Amino acid sequence: MKEIMQYINRDSFLHSMNPLSKIAAVAGIIVLSVFTTNSAVLALMVLGIFLASLKAGLQQELLKQFKLLVFLSLSLIMLTILTLKSGETLAYLIPPGTFTTAGIVPITTGALDFGVVLSLRFFAMLFAFQLLVVTTKPSDLMKALLAIHIPVDYVLMFVIALRFIPSLQIEGQRIHEAQLARGYKPGKGLRGKIMSVKPLLVPLVANSLGRTQVLGLTMDMRGYRSRHSVESNKLVWNKVDFAAIGCVALMGAGIMLGSFM
Amino acid sequence: MIELKDVTYTYGVAENSSLKNVNLKVREGELLLVTGHSAAGKTTLALALAGILHHEIGGRIEGEILFKNRNIRDFDGMKELSRHIGMVFDDAESQLIFTSVEEEIRSGLENRGHSEKEIVRRLEEVMGSCEISHLKNRAPHTLSGGQKQKVALAATLALDTEVLILDEATAELDSKAVKRIFSILKRLKEAGKTIIIVDHNIEDFLEIGDRVVLLEKGKVKAIKSPADFSVSPPVSRPFGPEPAEKVLNKTYDKELQSELQPLRQKSQPVISVKKLTQRYGEVLALDGIDLEIYPGELVAILGENGSGKTTLVKHFNGLLRPYSGNVTIKGLENSKVPIDELVKHTGLVFQNPDNMLFEDTVEAEIAFGLNNIGVKGSEAAEAITRSLELVNLSEKQKSFPRHLSRGERQRLAVACVIAMRPELIILDEPTTGLDADESDRMMQLMRKLQQKGHTIVMVTHNLQLVKDHAERVIHMQAGKIVEDTANRECAGKEYRECIGSACV
Repeated sequence: MKEIMQYINRDSFLHSMNPLSKIAAVAGIIVLSVFTTNSAVLALMVLGIFLASLKAGLQQELLKQFKLLVFLSLSLIMLTILTLKSGETLAYLIPPGTFTTAGIVPITTGALDFGVVLSLRFFAMLFAFQLLVVTTKPSDLMKALLAIHIPVDYVLMFVIALRFIPSLQIEGQRIHEAQLARGYKPGKGLRGKIMSVKPLLVPLVANSLGRTQVLGLTMDMRGYRSRHSVESNKLVWNKVDFAAIGCVALMGAGIMLGSFM
Repeated sequence: MIELKDVTYTYGVAENSSLKNVNLKVREGELLLVTGHSAAGKTTLALALAGILHHEIGGRIEGEILFKNRNIRDFDGMKELSRHIGMVFDDAESQLIFTSVEEEIRSGLENRGHSEKEIVRRLEEVMGSCEISHLKNRAPHTLSGGQKQKVALAATLALDTEVLILDEATAELDSKAVKRIFSILKRLKEAGKTIIIVDHNIEDFLEIGDRVVLLEKGKVKAIKSPADFSVSPPVSRPFGPEPAEKVLNKTYDKELQSELQPLRQKSQPVISVKKLTQRYGEVLALDGIDLEIYPGELVAILGENGSGKTTLVKHFNGLLRPYSGNVTIKGLENSKVPIDELVKHTGLVFQNPDNMLFEDTVEAEIAFGLNNIGVKGSEAAEAITRSLELVNLSEKQKSFPRHLSRGERQRLAVACVIAMRPELIILDEPTTGLDADESDRMMQLMRKLQQKGHTIVMVTHNLQLVKDHAERVIHMQAGKIVEDTANRECAGKEYRECIGSACV
């Protein structure tokens, strides 16, 4: 089974970084990728993140999401082509002469550019976030988030959501098998597909909801809500941390300058 | 330590009280055992003792509960109470919050603000005593049910609270692990801790128990000494910690096996497995299995967790295809026939009924399987009535499946499968989570199905079940069949009659 968004117990420079600096870097990347509209800058950012994963030997983790991201990108580009018209017309989605003499749905440079920018944003955000999650122990992540005064309830929600991803995958598989044993056949066509989700989704959601009470009680019994404040000296800073934050800050400065000039 | 004074409790919108006029005094340093049938109020009592009813769940509470001679209501929520009371619940999966065993235990200790030195000391101690040190870096979803329970237990033990409440917290442990927990609890008791064990099967802990509380329909029916309890008719039948081999040797022998051989040769096997191997990545899950199962047999497949039992039976309805070797079901080759064809011949009921129930009524639930194999209209209605009658759920036809009791849901799962009239019925751990009464009902149902001409295969690690009911026992270890013998006590005349007249 493919594990997604799970901490990988390994030694890499990303693992030894302070979770706080990683969170700061990821937050920085997300903010910057939203603010910049330059596809070259975004491409560089994605490349940078990918190189970091290569250095840490975690490129496989990122590539796992590649298929999904490519699919997402293509749909986004399609969407911008359909909705946005600016710049030069390169070609037509339905070429001239098919129905009318002029082409229908022009593909414009503006639309392509915007589609690419949107896609690269997703690449950057998802890659960065994933590197954060797979290289940071959930308990360290929790400490770091608490240290920057995020309410404990939200932090627990986040940590638990991550923890239950593989459990849900396994449970989904079990439910699928149980229904197959009853002769379940996924339906054909869109309507059939939607209808056939019910036998899988209902048990999955119902089981998850049934779990919440014990989960909540366990957290109380182990004292998560009345925890002692984390001593910040437990989170060590090292050179890579400063380098990472520095990099992101530099990028930020570059983008700001670029947009003013 | 904890005192219940005439406590009556009703959950939110429920009509009936779950606890009725309960008076109970838990002494300091005592090991109290609480038992009773399902729905007797065991878990509710455990929650009451921990103060969870007052502070977290609410509902109507009459009477009062004192903890350390102070009204439990006056404590500052579970925040304060959890410093004194540790509780382990039955659902192990939900008690694991982090992605590694070490973090799980460590984070609880960090919440309590212990020094790093103390944390490391306790961490090592508790992982050692619960025998989970080797699982230190494992993620919860890679652990077995028993391992999860051990981790949940360890995480609570590490907190070293004065009171420890275990609510069905050892159900999935094998006998070796239970012994381990036994000795840990014994040591804790000697150290003066107050321990409350709530379970429908308390046999394992009678020896260290001080008193046994027997609950029935929310009332304390009796409080006995453990010695009296084991003499009186127990809630569940006692079964000594005999090793599997010994039990098997006593009741199964090869002579009978050869005696039955000629009878078998008369009929074609329902399932025939030849040199079956199966792999999960690098792991060899099944290793050269040869097996034949004949019409009308009641076969038990016995083995530890991870021995390949479930993997084997998944080949019987096409959920898995052989890596090498072959499996034929009623002459149909597993590797060639699609799964929706095979399920007409093989009904597989999984361990957890909640993984399949999704409809709004019991009747619709059964109709789902029937529609899938093309049975519709009056024929389907008839099949529904018939199968509900068989499992004794006729009056629940319009009920919401998820509101049924655990035992009823399990029987409904069986009904869903038998309505499709497969010749072969496979049940994966059919009695897990059921109390003695419900287990019995389940096994009676299986007998009844056998008499109707079905071939039954049950996968289990419950020796008692095997000893009482199975006619043939297949013992698996590390992906291999190590023993295949007949059970003299059970291989009664039903079996021979059935084969003689080829009733399928």
